[in-house]
Amino acid sequence: MNTAFQRLQREHRAEILTDWLQHLAAAVDRHSPHPPGLDAQRESLFDAVLTTLAERPNAHDFMLDPDSELGRYLNRLVTEQARQLASPSETVGSLLALKQRLARALLALDLSSDAVVESLLWLDRLFDALSLFAFKAFVDIRERLITEQSLSLLELSTPVLKLWHQVLLLPLVGVIDTLRARQVTERLLEAIAEHEARVTILDLTGVPVLDTSVAQHLMKTIDAARLLGTRIVMTGISPEGAQTLTKLGIRFADVVSRATLRAGIAEALLIVERRIAPLNSERQL
Amino acid sequence: MLLIQDCVVPPPLHWPTPYGYETAVYLPIHWESDVMAASRQARQLAERLGFSRSAAYHIATAASELANNARLHAGGGWLYANALFDATGETVIGLELIVEDSGPGIADPELALTDGYSTGSGLGCGLPGVKRLMDAFSLEAVPSGGVRVRAIKWR
Repeated sequence: MNTAFQRLQREHRAEILTDWLQHLAAAVDRHSPHPPGLDAQRESLFDAVLTTLAERPNAHDFMLDPDSELGRYLNRLVTEQARQLASPSETVGSLLALKQRLARALLALDLSSDAVVESLLWLDRLFDALSLFAFKAFVDIRERLITEQSLSLLELSTPVLKLWHQVLLLPLVGVIDTLRARQVTERLLEAIAEHEARVTILDLTGVPVLDTSVAQHLMKTIDAARLLGTRIVMTGISPEGAQTLTKLGIRFADVVSRATLRAGIAEALLIVERRIAPLNSERQL
Repeated sequence: MLLIQDCVVPPPLHWPTPYGYETAVYLPIHWESDVMAASRQARQLAERLGFSRSAAYHIATAASELANNARLHAGGGWLYANALFDATGETVIGLELIVEDSGPGIADPELALTDGYSTGSGLGCGLPGVKRLMDAFSLEAVPSGGVRVRAIKWR
């Protein structure tokens, strides 16, 4: 038990809390909208902190238990802030603002110097643990967000479109790494089998850089697609891309390539023996 | 024409560590995403320095090849791209790419620069390709083990 913090909790709780909340409203919430219930959450955290300070469990090697009341309140608050894309310095900063206020209130209590030193050290240790915990929780949540986002991006970024009967279009947009190349190949092969595609147009307009690793991925995809009986028409290689590929010495042997998607579609329709003609062309003939 | 030996390479410690800098980019290479970032940042630097679109494309591809080499054959390294200035220190005359790794080194540099030769599963046209894409190229062993590749594109 720490009597100094017990006194703070008994006598000065309301005034420290108000001071802290006002400080946060002025310094932190100015930049981001103030969600409802935030003050209540901060108050629960505040009470949990004060209770822990007063009870003083294992002060010498204090570790914050994530399942304790304090751990859960802190986790919830940090989660919310991280999801709202606040900066980690704001989150940890709001904790440190509370520490500063508690230290000031402690010094105003008129205690013996031994008691002040001991209480300050304990305060320090607790807030070190809280800051570390908050920082780690913050980074964990952000990493999870990033993973989720990149997964959904991956979902979005590889559509295989059925352009016409037995003609597929695969527009590639963005960088092609191993993971994406694998996914593109899988999707394409499934689609080829499903639609019995005779031609697949591979549009590279949106691929920023064509280097050997991208070319290698593409070659594997093309080889696999051919085994399923489709012909590949590549389109959209930029003039710079073409020049770079030849300088690198990369050859896409036996692949039909057209500069634009329009020319590629014309080529694909030729292969399946179709054409795009004006509505009244027969009458004109 | 400047020879590649004339351009002094500052030691890594003194290099600008912030990622991206007005006239230089420094990036550690460990993952595939670092390779993408290296290529993107090299291209942005080239465009910022006023290189043509196709030259910027060549530089981006070269950066991607070299970074990928460091990642695949040496488990990682770093890429440094910087602007080269003339004697007045005002006009940009080129862009230099330096990629260094701490891997096992290249046993036979001449062979590594041969088209179609690869120790891994690659196409074997990375290094010779970079040599053709850029204007000056050097490959040297660093004392600590590993390889340092320098390549320059003049403007």
